[in-house]
Amino acid sequence: MSGGHVKLESLTKRFGDVTAVNEISVEIQAGEFFSVLGPSGCGKTTTLRMVAGFEPPTSGKILLDGTDVGSWAPHRRNVNTVFQSYALFPFLTVAENVAFGMKYRSVPKSERDSRVAEALEMVQLSGYENRRPNQLSGGQQQRVALARALVLRPSVLLLDEPLGALDAKLRRTLQVELGALQKQVGITFLYVTHDQEEALTMSDRLAVMNHGRVAQLGTPEEVYNEPADAYVADFLGVSNLMDARVEKSGNGQGPCRLRLGDFTLEAQAGQLDATGDVKLAIRPERIHLRPYESSGVNCVPGMVERLVFLGSTTHIYVRLATGSALQTLVRNEGEAVPYTQGTPVSVDLPPDALRVLPDPGVSVTEIHDETLGDQPLDLTGSVQATG
Amino acid sequence: MASTVGESVTTSAPSQAEPVPSRRPRGNPWRRPYAMEGFTWLYIVWSIVPIAIAVLFSFNKGASQATWQGFSTKWYVGNQVTSVLHNPSLHQAVIQTIVLAVLTTLICVPIGVGFAIGIDRWRTRTANGLNVVMIFSFVIPELLLAVALFLLVTQALTFIKLGTPAEVAGLVVWNISWPAIIVRARLVSIGRTYEEAACDLGASRLGAIWRVLIPLLAPAIFASAVLVFASTVDDFVIVEQLSSTSNTQPMSVLIYSNVHAGLSGPALNALATIMLVLSLVAALIGYVGYRWMSRGERTKGGADALTGIAGI
Repeated sequence: MSGGHVKLESLTKRFGDVTAVNEISVEIQAGEFFSVLGPSGCGKTTTLRMVAGFEPPTSGKILLDGTDVGSWAPHRRNVNTVFQSYALFPFLTVAENVAFGMKYRSVPKSERDSRVAEALEMVQLSGYENRRPNQLSGGQQQRVALARALVLRPSVLLLDEPLGALDAKLRRTLQVELGALQKQVGITFLYVTHDQEEALTMSDRLAVMNHGRVAQLGTPEEVYNEPADAYVADFLGVSNLMDARVEKSGNGQGPCRLRLGDFTLEAQAGQLDATGDVKLAIRPERIHLRPYESSGVNCVPGMVERLVFLGSTTHIYVRLATGSALQTLVRNEGEAVPYTQGTPVSVDLPPDALRVLPDPGVSVTEIHDETLGDQPLDLTGSVQATG
Repeated sequence: MASTVGESVTTSAPSQAEPVPSRRPRGNPWRRPYAMEGFTWLYIVWSIVPIAIAVLFSFNKGASQATWQGFSTKWYVGNQVTSVLHNPSLHQAVIQTIVLAVLTTLICVPIGVGFAIGIDRWRTRTANGLNVVMIFSFVIPELLLAVALFLLVTQALTFIKLGTPAEVAGLVVWNISWPAIIVRARLVSIGRTYEEAACDLGASRLGAIWRVLIPLLAPAIFASAVLVFASTVDDFVIVEQLSSTSNTQPMSVLIYSNVHAGLSGPALNALATIMLVLSLVAALIGYVGYRWMSRGERTKGGADALTGIAGI
């Protein structure tokens, strides 16, 4: 099936007084692997359910290859969904599950068996035709769910946290497979997840959502390296955020000079023309620890607070003299980490790695608490629970 | 090395003589709970022995209800006049019981399932209220409903004749809560995802209900059918009130009226035994059938089959 161009225009969904999805406009190219990333309650699952047809939009348009399908019933849309819970029919065998939808797609009976076999081969489950879903592992059930959707050759495949219920190792394996599969079939994938690693590794482009709005849209590199605001920086991986004040805006090419406590820093990334209070962000891997009292641009004294051994890396938590806590990491290359708790160090924050981000008006911890512990806004979850 | 180990053992020995806690626990906390076991057995004997004796005397060779005179099936088939097989009023009662049970099950279950699905989809305050109405039959006295129904069919809805039509109508009303509550409980545990998946794959809403929801509900539908059947076999109050002639008296009514009139005899014991076996077989079929139908569900076990049948 060709096509697969999706365009959401000012799409909005309200449940009573709560706005789950707030005027989002996104264009997804045919054949693209597009992820929607966000914490629970950000509206990502509601968006997907509107595209699938399980929720009618309050306002806005869902254009599928140019046709507004917003008011169409799910079975009339040429999109298929892979559910988080798989939703395999327990009373049918694997082959019957995969063949379920073809009855409605005027696929000739003679062709059905070969297409089932083809789909199962694609997800590496040949030979499992006569098993029942409960005789399969979680990962295998996930593959059956994929085959059941792909066998219909939809123009868009919707995936609702499909790897959410699997263990970490299997999730990694399936991430790679899913990415490869998407390239192979060339179907547009709309992938909803709260796992930033999944979104970064698989997507062509991704949208980070927050409170029903798109906070940033771009390629994984853009979103990770050039976060638009403190929320995105914080959500995508560990980001160190500091409250700072602009002393001198970097007009044109020049760096921006900022005041962090008693220290003056230079930043060459982000919104260099910002003024007033801003957030400074830096990725842990860009911070360098130097011997205490080293001199240089952006070297701030600090003290090692805690070391966390993670196998391939060791995370080091450093407290700057200004009071800010930063996280950095060193790779474990066979040598002992030359720091212990309480070691005074000089923290080097390279200007080209230091990003100036607009201050969202609340402290960073507040954003964090809100996004992670925000139960009342967990609409997607509650809708599924009642439904 | 060995000697040091030995020493350490001997030095640790005095520690066993350390002062014991001042309050010793009384007895062994891990001993068998004799009192509880004994009480349980007492209960089982108390509830089963009278039934067992009644069943036993249905196989008595003589007509005595007190002395055992040897084994015989004469009260079931042998006796040409008074056995269940040859006494027309007795075997008519068996047939009437089975007819009522089958008819009630066939009418009651589809209505109850439809009710459950309807309430589940409706989701308003009215629907919740109606759901409470379903529990009424567990709460209100059966006699009250029976008398009310009697007045209804004799005064207002006279087209429902006393006898089989009125009996079936009454039993359907009384038993409809079984399918309604059991099926709804399963609907809630199934959730909407399977139906959504079916719609997503191209089924219409009705198609999804037919191809996905009904098969998923099958164990609950089956369990409730068995319960309706068994409960109809056991029913006395409603059928007693709504039966007309002796031809429409099921086993329970016949046994009651005969025993009440002082006409007890082994043939009645035989009739009661048939009634008991019908209920037990229905329950057994229900248990086995429910387990078989829900075998595809990983987390469900035997205990769940039981609670499923009980509608919890």
